[in-house]
Amino acid sequence: MMERGKISPVQMALLMNPAISATVLLLVPAITAKQAHRDLWLSPIWASLIGFFVVFITYQLNKLYPKETIIEYSEQILGKLVGKLVGAVFLLFYLHITGIIVREYGEFLSGAFLQHTPIAVIIGTMVLVCSFAVIGGLEVIGRASEIIVPIVMLLYLFIFILLLKDLEIENMFPIMEKGIKPSLMGSIVPQSWFSEFLLISFFLPYVKNKKKGMKWGMISVISVMLLMVLTNMMNLLLFGNLTPSLTYPVMIAARYISIADFLEHLESIVMAIWIAGTFIKITVFYYVLALGTAQWLKLSEYRPVVLPLGFLVLLHGLWSARDLQELSHFLATSGAVYILSVQVVIPVILLLVAFIRKKVQQRKGSLQNESPINH
Amino acid sequence: MNLRRKIIKFFAETMNIKEHSSSPSGDHPVTDKDPLSIHVAENVITLESIYADCSDVMFRHFLIGNRTKAVLIYIDGMSNIEEIDKNMLTPLMRQEIETHFDVRTILEQALTVSSVKEIKTLEDIIKEVSSGNPVVLIDQQLQGFAAGLSKWEKRSIQEPSAESVVRGPRDGFIETVSTNIVLLRRKIKSPHLKTKTINIGRYSQTEVVIMYIEGIADKTLIDEVQNRLNRIDIDGILESGYIEEFIKDHPFSPFPLILNTERPDITAASLLEGNVVILTDGTPFALIAPTTFYSLLQSPEDYYEGFIIGTFIRWLRYTFLLVALLLPSVYVAILTYHQEMIPTSLLISVAKSREQIPFPALVEALIMEITFEALREAGVRLPKNIGSAISIVGALVIGQAAVSAGLVSAPMVMAVAITGISSFLIPRYSASIALRILRFPIMFLAGTLGLVGIMLALLTIIIHMCTLRSFGVPYLQPLAPIRKSELKDSIIRAPWWSLKKRPHWTGDYNKDRQPNGQIPSPAKGNE
Repeated sequence: MMERGKISPVQMALLMNPAISATVLLLVPAITAKQAHRDLWLSPIWASLIGFFVVFITYQLNKLYPKETIIEYSEQILGKLVGKLVGAVFLLFYLHITGIIVREYGEFLSGAFLQHTPIAVIIGTMVLVCSFAVIGGLEVIGRASEIIVPIVMLLYLFIFILLLKDLEIENMFPIMEKGIKPSLMGSIVPQSWFSEFLLISFFLPYVKNKKKGMKWGMISVISVMLLMVLTNMMNLLLFGNLTPSLTYPVMIAARYISIADFLEHLESIVMAIWIAGTFIKITVFYYVLALGTAQWLKLSEYRPVVLPLGFLVLLHGLWSARDLQELSHFLATSGAVYILSVQVVIPVILLLVAFIRKKVQQRKGSLQNESPINH
Repeated sequence: MNLRRKIIKFFAETMNIKEHSSSPSGDHPVTDKDPLSIHVAENVITLESIYADCSDVMFRHFLIGNRTKAVLIYIDGMSNIEEIDKNMLTPLMRQEIETHFDVRTILEQALTVSSVKEIKTLEDIIKEVSSGNPVVLIDQQLQGFAAGLSKWEKRSIQEPSAESVVRGPRDGFIETVSTNIVLLRRKIKSPHLKTKTINIGRYSQTEVVIMYIEGIADKTLIDEVQNRLNRIDIDGILESGYIEEFIKDHPFSPFPLILNTERPDITAASLLEGNVVILTDGTPFALIAPTTFYSLLQSPEDYYEGFIIGTFIRWLRYTFLLVALLLPSVYVAILTYHQEMIPTSLLISVAKSREQIPFPALVEALIMEITFEALREAGVRLPKNIGSAISIVGALVIGQAAVSAGLVSAPMVMAVAITGISSFLIPRYSASIALRILRFPIMFLAGTLGLVGIMLALLTIIIHMCTLRSFGVPYLQPLAPIRKSELKDSIIRAPWWSLKKRPHWTGDYNKDRQPNGQIPSPAKGNE
């Protein structure tokens, strides 16, 4: 087996939380607000449904092929040629998405803090640090998440508490003034983020206690949903109708904090904890990319491909968009369709085909009493 | 990854070459396992050729019962001469014995020494004589015997200077391994406390003792420690640091993966938690394996004072661990990239003090930090009576003169001083030097990328620490992976009566430390 390490279901849940939420908290509140206006805090709740659905599908697929990742079992399900093709689609997709993530990271830092540093340097150093973690293996990533994620969460909640006195509850009302539609429309973009829960199909084969995998996957979805609701709520109560026009609302919110004339301008702290979250996010995607590539090429070890892939990720980060506006526009429009079709439609097709195959085989095998999994 | 493997291979190869070229072929026949000659004269000639030019080795010829030739061999200064005279030479020379006797009758009837050992080969003789035990060889006998009468000068037991406590035992290990074993046996009187001795070092033949409590320590761990120790092949072991580098899991990590201590109470506590202790003759430092990062941040006093105070002091230590690691870097990063974080009034005074400084903040910090490290190193090396004078001069030079000369700013002096003091809060010296070294790369990153650089450095350190294992135990054990029962003794220091479980190192082996329900409460039924 390529990855010898094992992680616990809790570690998986801790990994998946920042793997979804790290970038969602940055750009998405503003994108959601454009559609959902005052109901933007409802959108994550609708969007999380797709998260539950993806976790369910992934878990069912994993039950059929407990020791394989999606790259491996798509070959089993669809046959060698089509399976390889689907695998290639996934890998190119994840390469592209990882590129987009590092670009978001680079854009945010160069826009808000390091104006004079070339974006390639900002992205390159981060990819390098992530590659250390990827080379370390799944166990190392899991343990790192156990240290980093709780700290990030606590600090994030701490910022909320500091903002409490500036919040105005009137901004929220009236709820669902124009019915449910705006909030549903607003949930489309967050949906594409929630569909990233497909990543757990790469982790489930290495989870120690498989039965709890589903439970903790769902808990992870709920935690991301709550985090997004909380963030959107904070932005709404703080900025009201201003929210859609801000690029990084959370960042601006941190500037509001002023306690005792001393705790001021905490945006650097926000940035620091956000870097830690993004680190987990990039590492997870990067790891999945490296592991998937190695499995697709049938290598015995994924570590040799890590650094070359890191270079590709860096290039994709630089190529994925001309500037932040283009990137944000892509994510708000065609990106959603693109991401959802790869991460939801293909797995659903895979599961359907796998079930049909299983049924057919059961009919055949009822004479020979053969198990379809050991096929 | 590959490069690392290559480096290891290269080192391994060069080591092998050295090993072949320096095998002790031309030296004395230490490996000689032939039995002794029946004539004592022949044995003496062989031994005298082995001990040629060793003026401290004494050969004392005498007659047993005025008839049989015998020789006493010992090293001057390593044996207790009074005892030899009184309990060996006196009974043997005054002995009235028959013509036919053997060594056993002498041992049973004549010798009034409690610890004796029969000897059959030259190798045995050399071993006993080198460790200070006088050896007697007798004519017409194939065996000799050695008496355990070694005695040499040793340091008295003193309080370890690097690990002092306000409350707690004040004894410390010394350079003699047998005394150190006694210190531990006095704390743990159970026969389950086991000691296994091996000799390491082709020339030094250093006694290395593995200690553990049978039934608590994991068996695979004991075997692993023994295997790693048996693999060591070196000419001499002079300090336990040699052993540490040979048996470390990750040879290129700056972090100490094996704890060293001079304190018997820490060692005994580790034994009770299921660790394996390695004592080395010739050094007061015991090695404790496996070690986790948080155990490097513990002081024995945490357990002796009340648990509320213990918890508070632990948190203080964790905070200042971060200060020691990050303060100069954060100062540089904020001054260079994030000035808006400083409140306006403070910013003005900082800017005023930096007005005349010719260097950028990073250079200023580096100069100060390196000077501070140099001063600290000098303070250790300097003779004690001038040490304090130099440190006063040093403090004046950096503190007053440098500021008034406009070379460094006063806030920077403060930052460096606080950093220096906080690194002393870490109770284990080996951990604090690791952090001292890591401070410099972080400072460079802070100077080039600001807080982003610091975060990247921290993340790299966390990843590195997550990859580390000490004898199979993850280095950040109770935090990553999370072990709920052990969090009680790492994040806080829970009261003794609630620490029911031992930390499980490699296996779940005899986990209960004490039974439930020992919370003290007023005696019932007194109402």
